[in-house]
Amino acid sequence: MERKIGVYLCECGPNISEKVDLDRVKKEISSIDDVAVVEKFKLLCSADGKKYLEEQIKNHNLTHLVIAACSPKEHEITFMEVCENADLNPYLFQLANIREQCAWITADKEEATKKAIRIVKAAVGRVKYHSSLEKKEIESIPDVLVIGGGIAGIEASLQLASSKRKVFLVEKTSELGGLIKNFEKTFGDMKSATELIDNKIQNINTNENIKVLTNCEVGEVIGFFGNFEIKIKTTTGENEPIEFNVGAIVVATGSQLFNPEKTPQFGYSKLDNVFTSLEFEKMNLTKNITLKNGKTPTSVAFIHCVGREEKGYCSGICCLYSLKYASYLKEKLPKVKIINLYSDLCIPGKKDEKFFNEVKSKNVDFIRSSDVEVEKNKNQLKINFKNKEGKKNSILVDMVVLAPAIEPTIDAVKIAEITGISQDKEGFFAEEHEKLNPISTSTEGIYIAGCAQGPKNISETIIQSEAAAGKILSSLIPGKKIKPEVKTSVISESLCIGCKTCLTVCSYGAITFDETKKISVVNEVICRGCGNCVAACPSGAASIKHFKFNQIYQELLEAVK
Amino acid sequence: MVELNSNTDVLVIGAGIAGIEASLMLSKADRNVHLIEKTSYTGGSSIKYEEVFSNMECSTCMVAPIQQEIIQDKNINLLTLTEVESIKGSLGNFNVRIHKKARYVDMDNCIGCNACFDPCPVSINNEFEEGLSKRKAIYVPCAGALPNVPMIDTKNCLRFNGKECSACKEACMFEAIDYSQKDEKTDIKVGSIIVATGFDLMDTKKLQEYGYGKIDDVYTSMEFERLYASNGPTEGKIILKNGKTPKSVAIIHCVGRKEKGYCSSVCCMYSLKFIHYLKSKISNINISELYTDFCIPGKSHQKFYEKMKKNQVNMIRASDIEVKKQNNDINVNFNIETGEKKNILVDMVILTPAIEPRNTSIKLSKTLGISIDEYGFFKENSSDTSSVISSKPGIFIVGCAQGAKNIQDSVSQATAAVGKILSL
Amino acid sequence: MVEKFEPRIVGFLCNWCSYAGADLAGTSKLNVSASLTPIRVMCSSRVDPVLVETAFLQGADGVLVAGCHPGDCHYNEGNYFARRRFAVLKKVVEALGLESDRLQLSWISASEGQRFADVVNDFNERIKKLGPNPLRKKKSL
Repeated sequence: MERKIGVYLCECGPNISEKVDLDRVKKEISSIDDVAVVEKFKLLCSADGKKYLEEQIKNHNLTHLVIAACSPKEHEITFMEVCENADLNPYLFQLANIREQCAWITADKEEATKKAIRIVKAAVGRVKYHSSLEKKEIESIPDVLVIGGGIAGIEASLQLASSKRKVFLVEKTSELGGLIKNFEKTFGDMKSATELIDNKIQNINTNENIKVLTNCEVGEVIGFFGNFEIKIKTTTGENEPIEFNVGAIVVATGSQLFNPEKTPQFGYSKLDNVFTSLEFEKMNLTKNITLKNGKTPTSVAFIHCVGREEKGYCSGICCLYSLKYASYLKEKLPKVKIINLYSDLCIPGKKDEKFFNEVKSKNVDFIRSSDVEVEKNKNQLKINFKNKEGKKNSILVDMVVLAPAIEPTIDAVKIAEITGISQDKEGFFAEEHEKLNPISTSTEGIYIAGCAQGPKNISETIIQSEAAAGKILSSLIPGKKIKPEVKTSVISESLCIGCKTCLTVCSYGAITFDETKKISVVNEVICRGCGNCVAACPSGAASIKHFKFNQIYQELLEAVK
Repeated sequence: MVELNSNTDVLVIGAGIAGIEASLMLSKADRNVHLIEKTSYTGGSSIKYEEVFSNMECSTCMVAPIQQEIIQDKNINLLTLTEVESIKGSLGNFNVRIHKKARYVDMDNCIGCNACFDPCPVSINNEFEEGLSKRKAIYVPCAGALPNVPMIDTKNCLRFNGKECSACKEACMFEAIDYSQKDEKTDIKVGSIIVATGFDLMDTKKLQEYGYGKIDDVYTSMEFERLYASNGPTEGKIILKNGKTPKSVAIIHCVGRKEKGYCSSVCCMYSLKFIHYLKSKISNINISELYTDFCIPGKSHQKFYEKMKKNQVNMIRASDIEVKKQNNDINVNFNIETGEKKNILVDMVILTPAIEPRNTSIKLSKTLGISIDEYGFFKENSSDTSSVISSKPGIFIVGCAQGAKNIQDSVSQATAAVGKILSL
Repeated sequence: MVEKFEPRIVGFLCNWCSYAGADLAGTSKLNVSASLTPIRVMCSSRVDPVLVETAFLQGADGVLVAGCHPGDCHYNEGNYFARRRFAVLKKVVEALGLESDRLQLSWISASEGQRFADVVNDFNERIKKLGPNPLRKKKSL
């Protein structure tokens, strides 16, 4: 097919025209094969300029377009739209940057002109090898699978479910509610946790667009964003697996407490009346804070940071729930002596300091301590520790409540395997980006919320769940097709030698291996177009649209002349 | 839940990181967004940092692509130099009057060449650079600011103060400077509103004991961020007022915490970041961190703390801190845990002032008819529902406008607010 | 008669960081040596040994590969792969009979306009000292 390349040089006012001899550039470019027209224009990104370009494309029946102007980061999209309006495939276009990376950085006009010629020639050489690329559209299913029926899963489900979008809420135990079911109150405002969670569960049960599957676990996840095939198996093992398709998945599998048996110095499970925070919560909910012998305690010590050193992070909620426990005790056993043994007070929320001061004013002690050990002392517990000055000290109490670190549930490994999402070193699910995207994972379409992502309080969990819902609501719209990245990788069946190197370098799991054909296959919906697989491929089977070897080669040829 | 003929457009107030993320997500869902920003640039506070914790990621690299996206996004109507003047109506049907200040530069004609700066005869302290460098009356706040179009500061411009001057207009080859521009008031209709107005640092001059504003080389954290920034007033060189390189620094935590009554939650982490900043440019600099409690919740934060501690930093739990000048040094007095009095002599002090709501928050809360709490932050409706729900249905509060928090949590809240709007 | 040696340097710049940094050098009107012609790639991990070999075989006096700082890669880990490949690439250059210093890997962020200028100018000086690519003359017609 005959090529007709149109090359347009933007003067950009004086910005380019004063630094680069555009007439000379025009002369040099005109003599290149397949270049049908070369023109200068004052300002191509202006309304006039864009109209001019459209007319030029149509009048000259241009097959390719090169614009020598500013950075593609400024106006690549602008000129691609011009192409579309003129019925020219927007990928048969190349923007040569002769402003930011030529005119503006080269003092000598002769040098700048020679460089501009090189850059434009490179663009012309490259564009000859461009292919038309079409924006794909893929059907998607708007329904969602939510794994985990605690507050995170519940909140996400309530936000997502609608007449146009079904939510499948899978919970491995027989009840919804997760850890909150064990709390009487939530810290800060000390409002009823029971009411909070019961209302939420009520809302779930009355929502006809949410299908609750208790006593169920996820057995298999196959597919990709917009089209996941899910197999659910019942934990009782009786019934047939349940199968359905969804477009997105929210992993909200929550957390569990670090086992204090691993830190024997606290005497957990060896000494009577040493409890974990969760055990204390449960005890409190049954309105029965008692010692093993049935008597009420006269003194309770809260030991913070249990397992913090072993885990390597601060769980962020223990200082606050210890304050909550102090409140519980002061209400129910007003005369009880309360001592907190802590290392650093972590109370970052805007209302937390007020809460701390309120509780402290009720005669609750806070002792900064280290090297804490618990031993039996007759029918009490003796806590040995070093105080803030480093001196050895000890106290005698009836009851000890430990604040163990929050860690991912034991199911996390299995869930990671089944869904293909990554875990970080601590076992929490890895977010796509620490700052800008704590909700998505590297697997498109799978989101994480709540303590499954990292230790956090209820308010933060609710936010993350709503955020996960937000991500899905904005990217998976009923009736709307998904538009994946256009410039994706392609692996040639004939050239692929089946070495699987590409699979190991893809950060997104976009490449799978076809066992029958013994070749690698790229999923174009997931591929982000980085080109890593192309560079890794030893046989040259992998290439990337719009950044193919021969396209870059043409730029290279001109760059070295 | 919402009436049939309710509006699906959204007004986002504040084009910082939270506002930008919310706008992009709403646009992806084919919603029309009016993103209004009080200043002339987008990115808010996030573009003031060179790097962010805990990966030390380049902040501009992180934010620039999304700043560019909102400028080019067809569904987003970005209006800089714009504020809300009044609103009427309710969820699904808000009528908002917005006031757009004149930039005096045509945004379509201007190509961002900066030729108008040099000829301007005026020189004033650059607020973006925390007063550490100067700018002209026609200016962009920093290199790389987006949109890359200058504005005229009419308070200081000679022409707008009755004097003869058209230096900038004469230098412009694109007829982009237009003195005749007027402020515009427009009415827009939206269904919901997101308030993402961000934060200010508390005015540390009020706290006499830290010597800020009186003693040279006592800096706020934001000033220090600009000193370290490669596009900042010293191109990233950490130097004292006399041009010398500091040999010792004290970083003081919890400045204003007692006065404010809350912990600002990010200062311990960015103080650790500052250790990285300092050591990367001045490898043998002596650093002391004066703190009360190290507040570093989060799965990756303690690792960062351990890493920074390896830099031979003096971590000192201190109280009753006083900063005084002593000859050529700065003398920092404090009490340690035992009650003993101690002091250190340093060249430079960096303060971590409390994060507070913008000083325009009270006015905005009255305009929008939403409550603010006792600290001046926008108040969430209830503690057991989502923290982004304000006291008025249809108006959401996100980021530091709702309470001091880091970028991750601000972005989560912005995304959650979008989730709530899209599920209405 | 010795012609003045004007190096021809190819710069592979990653779209998200180093290309933006190069643009910033432009908006800041810094002086950058004209010897480097930029070639945009989406990620530094796209730069494979064949591209580098080809560049030198075609006569490039120097090749600069620039990407995001470690930890900042837009595609998570691309630049880590680039870094690992770079060690191999150095060997490839030597195998061609060239000084391995003709190949350089630099991390340049979007806000480092000055750094981009400095890196390019320093590299240009180094290449000038190394002299022209001996393979350039060997190109067959």
